[in-house]
Amino acid sequence: MSRLRAIAAAAVLVLAALPAALSDFWIFIAIEVIAFALYAVSFNVLLGYGGMLSFGHAAFFGVGAYAGALVVKKAGLAPEAAFALVPLAAMAAAAGVAAVVGFFSVRRSGIYFGMLTFAFQMLLYTIALKATGLTGGDDGITGLKPPGALARPAVYYFFAITMVAPALYVLYRLVNSPFGITLRALKANPRRVQYVGVDVRSHQLATFVISGAFAGLAGAVFALSSGNVFPAWLNWTASATPIVMAVLGGVSTFLGPALGAAVYVVLEVVISGRTEYWPLVMGTIILALVLLMPAGLTGLWRRKGTS
Amino acid sequence: MQSLIETLSAQFAWMQNPVVIARQALAGLSNGMLLFLIASGLSLIFGVLRIINFAHGALFMFGAFAAVTLTGLVPEGLAGFAGVLIGATAGLAVLGAAIETGLLRRIYLAPHEFQLLLTFALVFILGDAVKLIWGREDHSVSMPEILSGSTQALGVTFPTYRLFLIGAGIFIAIGLWALLHKTRWGIFVRAATMDRAMLGSLGVDTRRLFTTVFVLGAALAGLGGALAAPVVSIGPGLHVQVIIDAFVVVVIGGMGSVAGAFVAALLVGLVNAFGILAFPGLSVVLTFALMAVVLIVRPWGLFGSPE
Repeated sequence: MSRLRAIAAAAVLVLAALPAALSDFWIFIAIEVIAFALYAVSFNVLLGYGGMLSFGHAAFFGVGAYAGALVVKKAGLAPEAAFALVPLAAMAAAAGVAAVVGFFSVRRSGIYFGMLTFAFQMLLYTIALKATGLTGGDDGITGLKPPGALARPAVYYFFAITMVAPALYVLYRLVNSPFGITLRALKANPRRVQYVGVDVRSHQLATFVISGAFAGLAGAVFALSSGNVFPAWLNWTASATPIVMAVLGGVSTFLGPALGAAVYVVLEVVISGRTEYWPLVMGTIILALVLLMPAGLTGLWRRKGTS
Repeated sequence: MQSLIETLSAQFAWMQNPVVIARQALAGLSNGMLLFLIASGLSLIFGVLRIINFAHGALFMFGAFAAVTLTGLVPEGLAGFAGVLIGATAGLAVLGAAIETGLLRRIYLAPHEFQLLLTFALVFILGDAVKLIWGREDHSVSMPEILSGSTQALGVTFPTYRLFLIGAGIFIAIGLWALLHKTRWGIFVRAATMDRAMLGSLGVDTRRLFTTVFVLGAALAGLGGALAAPVVSIGPGLHVQVIIDAFVVVVIGGMGSVAGAFVAALLVGLVNAFGILAFPGLSVVLTFALMAVVLIVRPWGLFGSPE
């Protein structure tokens, strides 16, 4: 336990010192890692703990991002007030959409569940694309800027941490609560859990909504850092991202997907800076991951630890 | 009020024009036939292999690009065109065999997310491979002269190639039906969509069955791409939209059902064709709305059966 505390303390120190050591560009990348870490972990609460493979999770990330952007751009509030409202609006919007999508999707399981989430995501994507009055259509919403000093990456970095760290803590407590243990039991054997008297669907729906809400928060945190939102964030090709991150990090650990997010984001920056064929390289990496590393990065470490 | 009625009646003025209706119906049906060629393979692969092949659109795109190359190699005329179709179909069958035996076969027992990521990696890789082989610019393929004119029927002038596509689609649908219902192989395929384990324990070589189903699916996608080549703009982004339409068709028709794919493909083709007239700009939303309604009313699709 004391070793764990030491690691945690070291991590806090490193995170606090990071902006001083990095250029603005890499601070921007660090913010992206922080946002996507929450995205990947919230996705994995659904997949790794609940056994629900959503292939439409980008929808909630995107809805959160659009909700945040709309509050800043169109609510007509003072910049500070609007900004304070962003996390709440993003989570509420994503949770609301997740409640509707989840209501219909948790009625089916396995790959069919994935197809349903996929279908609703595409519906939301076309809405984002076509409701030009609200979303700006193909051009997206651009020119988002946090107020005052927060516009500086080194300051926004700490804002991102103050958003994401409590969210991760809440999710961590959730998966280790009786609710989370029931969730894991559900993954292993839904029928038996049902026989014990648990309402399987409402349990799954609740998880889906919580996961969606935090994905939405991640989307808003990232949107205000990047300064824009595009409909492509909700497209089907975007929904592979959290899956890759979770599998890369390892779906059987809580923070594995966060590690996966960090590796994925940095890889993408490095590769796309070197070649225009980064999808080809990324595809090959994913292929290798799937065929050679079934337990992800944390799995490699664990295997080494036990041998 | 008066102006609203005027706008609406202007919007739906085409309804009184039989020529427009006939022409749109023809366009919708012929596009529907192309959709059927992709969706039937996607649906069969899902039914038997239980894998959602996200790369199926990329296979269609490869078929179209193969037609670009082959058209330059064969003599003009109907015989050359037939050669292009056969060549593209055969080429994609070979590619399909390579993908199934080299990659997919290794992950049938892996969790769903691994299967999803593998076909997703293929989307990235094949998408970039197209750019490497054929470049980034759009290509076009001319149709044989005999099919390039127009035909008079029912007092309306139709583009001949559209009529040819509908005929070809019906011909292939009948061929597929015969293959599935009149051959021993077809009986195995239909049995596998119901219970793979049972089929295996009865002594059927399911390994070979999986390979042949995937090869057939890839070949159909290749043929679809080659048939579509003269009427679409062949560029590196072709597969992204194609796969979405194919998914919509498979979800509406019922996953694993070829008859469902046929009906749903024509339905989606027609909804697209008339949606453009009735709700310009919103026709994309229309197909997804159709899918959402089907999913809510009959989550297993029109021709599918509940788990």
